[in-house]
Amino acid sequence: MHRRRWLLQLILRALAHRKGRTLLLLAVLAMASSLATALGIVSSSMGKRVAEEVRKYGANLIVIPESARLDVGSGGLNFGVVSEPAYLPQRQVEDALNKSGLKVERSFHLRGAMHWKDSDLMVEGVNFADIRRLFPWWQLKGRWPAAGETVVGSDLATRLKLKPGDTLELDGKAQTLRLRISGIVSSGGEEDGLLFLALPELQQALGLDGQLTLVRLMVTAGKDSLKKNAAELQLLLPSAKVNEVRQTARTSEGLLAKVKLLMIMVTAVVLVSAGSSVAGTMSTTVLERGKEIGLMKAMGGTRWEVMLIFCGEAAMLGVLGGVAGYLFGSVIAQFITRTVFSASAEFIPWFSGISLGVSLFLALLGSVGPMIAVFKLDPVRSLRGE
Amino acid sequence: MATTIIETGGLTRSYGDICALKPLDLQVPEGEWLSVMGHSGSGKSTLMNLVGGLDRPSAGSLMVGGEDLLALSEDGLARFRREFVGIIFQQHHLVPYLTAVENVMLAQYFHSVPDEAEARSALERVGLGHRLKNRPGELSGGEQQRVCIARAIINSPKLLLGDEPTGNLDHKSTVMIMELLKELRAEERFTVVMVTHNQEVAAWGDRTIYLDDGVLVREERTNS
Repeated sequence: MHRRRWLLQLILRALAHRKGRTLLLLAVLAMASSLATALGIVSSSMGKRVAEEVRKYGANLIVIPESARLDVGSGGLNFGVVSEPAYLPQRQVEDALNKSGLKVERSFHLRGAMHWKDSDLMVEGVNFADIRRLFPWWQLKGRWPAAGETVVGSDLATRLKLKPGDTLELDGKAQTLRLRISGIVSSGGEEDGLLFLALPELQQALGLDGQLTLVRLMVTAGKDSLKKNAAELQLLLPSAKVNEVRQTARTSEGLLAKVKLLMIMVTAVVLVSAGSSVAGTMSTTVLERGKEIGLMKAMGGTRWEVMLIFCGEAAMLGVLGGVAGYLFGSVIAQFITRTVFSASAEFIPWFSGISLGVSLFLALLGSVGPMIAVFKLDPVRSLRGE
Repeated sequence: MATTIIETGGLTRSYGDICALKPLDLQVPEGEWLSVMGHSGSGKSTLMNLVGGLDRPSAGSLMVGGEDLLALSEDGLARFRREFVGIIFQQHHLVPYLTAVENVMLAQYFHSVPDEAEARSALERVGLGHRLKNRPGELSGGEQQRVCIARAIINSPKLLLGDEPTGNLDHKSTVMIMELLKELRAEERFTVVMVTHNQEVAAWGDRTIYLDDGVLVREERTNS
């Protein structure tokens, strides 16, 4: 029989012989690794869930020209008032975003005034596809505009008694535009007082080709904080001011970080307890099996060979505990995410590696002391039962 | 003239202030059956442990099978034990969760490669062909001792050590075990060093030495 096969058989027999103790050790290892697995899966699922929630809030970074004081904002937050025209070169912003390597969705804006009848209207040039993607909560009556069309903010439409199908003739610095209203848009914010049209059309009409007054960005939440992303982008755009739009993302990240820290601490306490428990049980096992160890040495087993048998037992327990821990942990994670977050946890196969690793590490770490005892055990004294 | 397999010169073993074996000069020719007698605490088990490479002397010289045991490392002594020595214990010391055949295979594992057919054959030689799959708890004292003998001889040792191998057996089982050992010795031609406090068991050997308080006080030839 092959030596390795025999060794495996010997290990399994030894573990089966001490069913009670083996089950106890397995339960401890499975508990510890299942907790690590469950908290890991919950943490990962929470992170993604928070990222999804934050995404629903739309843009989370805003870029404006350094010298501008522009009345911009979203959802009731105000970032200032335009005091003098200042612009961001669109090309410069695109280059900076490419260099930053940020995972980002963008929306370019140019805001300016156009003359209509006897008054000036605040007009914003945008890419409507970007608007629909970044601000999915905007409500539209009618349809999104095609070329030569516009949508009007609900407040402005009410004030000027405008409706879909009306035509406006707007005078810009460089061109006059004749636009048909395709819809009335409502955001619940200051956008309701604006008139929207395609960005290139407005840039041409105002004679501001390639110029922007505002860039809205939605940075996908990653391991880096939004603040750090903003700082990185700021370095690349020294002539602009990069601000966080909402505190929500940062608060969510902060909360998530705290919950993760709590989970790590709880897991650490459980792992230390489990490690101590494994060490205690393994020590007792080694003490009880002193004669067996002495016999193995008396038969010619070297200290390393005998220790290998006991290490093998610990490793076997670690593997079995890790497998059980992963299965239990996945179930626990499902339960927690359903109960607490009303969502289902993902099935994350690579967490089986974490579970195995935790269980193996605990089993072997807890066996270090007992293994040293096995290594040092004197065969004559142990056979005498001393 | 037979080669000397065991040769000691001033062999001493002390445990702190207690001298378990006082300087001992002893030669054992290859193939001899040496019985070591003495009362409890006379140093006979100490001598056996030293000769078997299980313990290290405090002073003196100890050559076994041409190996200077004092010069060997821990792992060197382990190698010496597995290649050169077979031990039969009074308490049998069988692994409780292994069957009879697996207990024999355990000795093979530490020696080289476990071979079930050979282990079976060894058990059949000691008359336990029908108890191969029984665990120690299911065997009588005599049967357990036979497993112990099969385990001791499985690797064809040059030196068989017995530490009161019949100490826990009744008269009938003792005779059976001694007859078995005699047969095996005739076949295998190993040297036997058997520690006993039983005169009748000692008489199975070629020579008996008597230890008292760690000192060799007498030796005699037997007519077995």
